[in-house]
Amino acid sequence: MLMVRYQQGDFTAATALIERTSPRLYRFFAAQQVSRAHADDLLQETWLRIHKVRHTYRPSEPALPWFYAIARHVRVDHHRKSIRVTEGERELQAMSKTISPGASNAGSSDDLEALLAPLSASEREVIEMLKVTGMSLEEVARATSSTVGSVKQKAHRAYKKLRVMLSREAAGRERSEKAT
Amino acid sequence: MKHEDVDEILNRALRGPHDVKSEVLHRIADSLKVSFAPVRPLPSSIVLTAVVFFVCVAVAIAGAARAGFFGFAKMHLMERWIIFGLLGALAWAAARSFVHAMIPGTRRHITAARLLGWSCVALVGLFGLLFRDYETHQFFRLGIACLATGLLYAVPAALFSWLLLRRGFAVNMVTAGLSAGLLGGLAGIGMLELHCPNFEAAHVLVWHIAVAPISSAVGAGMGWLLHLRRASRQ
Repeated sequence: MLMVRYQQGDFTAATALIERTSPRLYRFFAAQQVSRAHADDLLQETWLRIHKVRHTYRPSEPALPWFYAIARHVRVDHHRKSIRVTEGERELQAMSKTISPGASNAGSSDDLEALLAPLSASEREVIEMLKVTGMSLEEVARATSSTVGSVKQKAHRAYKKLRVMLSREAAGRERSEKAT
Repeated sequence: MKHEDVDEILNRALRGPHDVKSEVLHRIADSLKVSFAPVRPLPSSIVLTAVVFFVCVAVAIAGAARAGFFGFAKMHLMERWIIFGLLGALAWAAARSFVHAMIPGTRRHITAARLLGWSCVALVGLFGLLFRDYETHQFFRLGIACLATGLLYAVPAALFSWLLLRRGFAVNMVTAGLSAGLLGGLAGIGMLELHCPNFEAAHVLVWHIAVAPISSAVGAGMGWLLHLRRASRQ
């Protein structure tokens, strides 16, 4: 309903949408191990893109996958751009990230990064969308422009890998505890 | 370790400060205010699919009307129903795929690449069953002429479809280009089936069907170029 009012030119509806949706979109970007400033930029870029293509939303369709499809597009663009950044620039960015206070996502993303490390990019994306944004399989399929079957398969593979990795870690911890 | 344990670990890792600063939200709202106006939403996907489909049918019929309906005249009634029925179904699926590629967050039943694969398999299977003349005359000369004619009509079909959907937003330009190319390619094959009276199995199986993958590849390539252009502008 808010989206329809936004399309009709109601600014209060747009503000309400920004307030409601931005925290979830922000979590989606923050889960990618980017700095707080970067996540803010990505969020703003996403809203500019949403605003530009707001006519492509149809009231009969769910809004959340539409938002995430655009957010994902912004994230992919950002990722490609960051690949083009030279090694030296990357080092500088890394330095500024560690120097500036409150720039990182306070450990939680580090944990997530380590946890999702064994997954492929597409499996990781599906897990992030399911867990970070709380979308259903159908919504994730819509947001990633793929089929529900493909999303299910990726989620299943990802959980299998995570189970194996976490079981191994738990077994290793038990062994070291016994040894001490 | 159970599924729920993995869930719990993931949830724990995700807990953390993810609040957006209110000044960021205000900044976003202010940046949108500058160009705030009512917009007309896109029509439903079924309407868009139907329009794009009929444009492709019109291009194929116009092409055959210009060159002559020799192939259509030579076919039996049953062959006409089966061939154009399958081509119509595939073109509808390609039109739907293209429309969905131009609207973010729409449901997909099949990916564009898989649709291309299935289209080629279905056409090879059907043409292999219907065309049993295994002799070949001037295989390359006549074949290349047919391929060029098919591609000549695939281009306007794809371009008109693209123009019709220009208000859309392709989150993946390569997929959108591939879908548009496939749709154009099927229009090209439709035109060839209406026009070409050469029913040699090898000719139809190789040169007519080749229009779809070549046109799709060109479409995907164009999509990639448009993507690079869009990226360089940002």
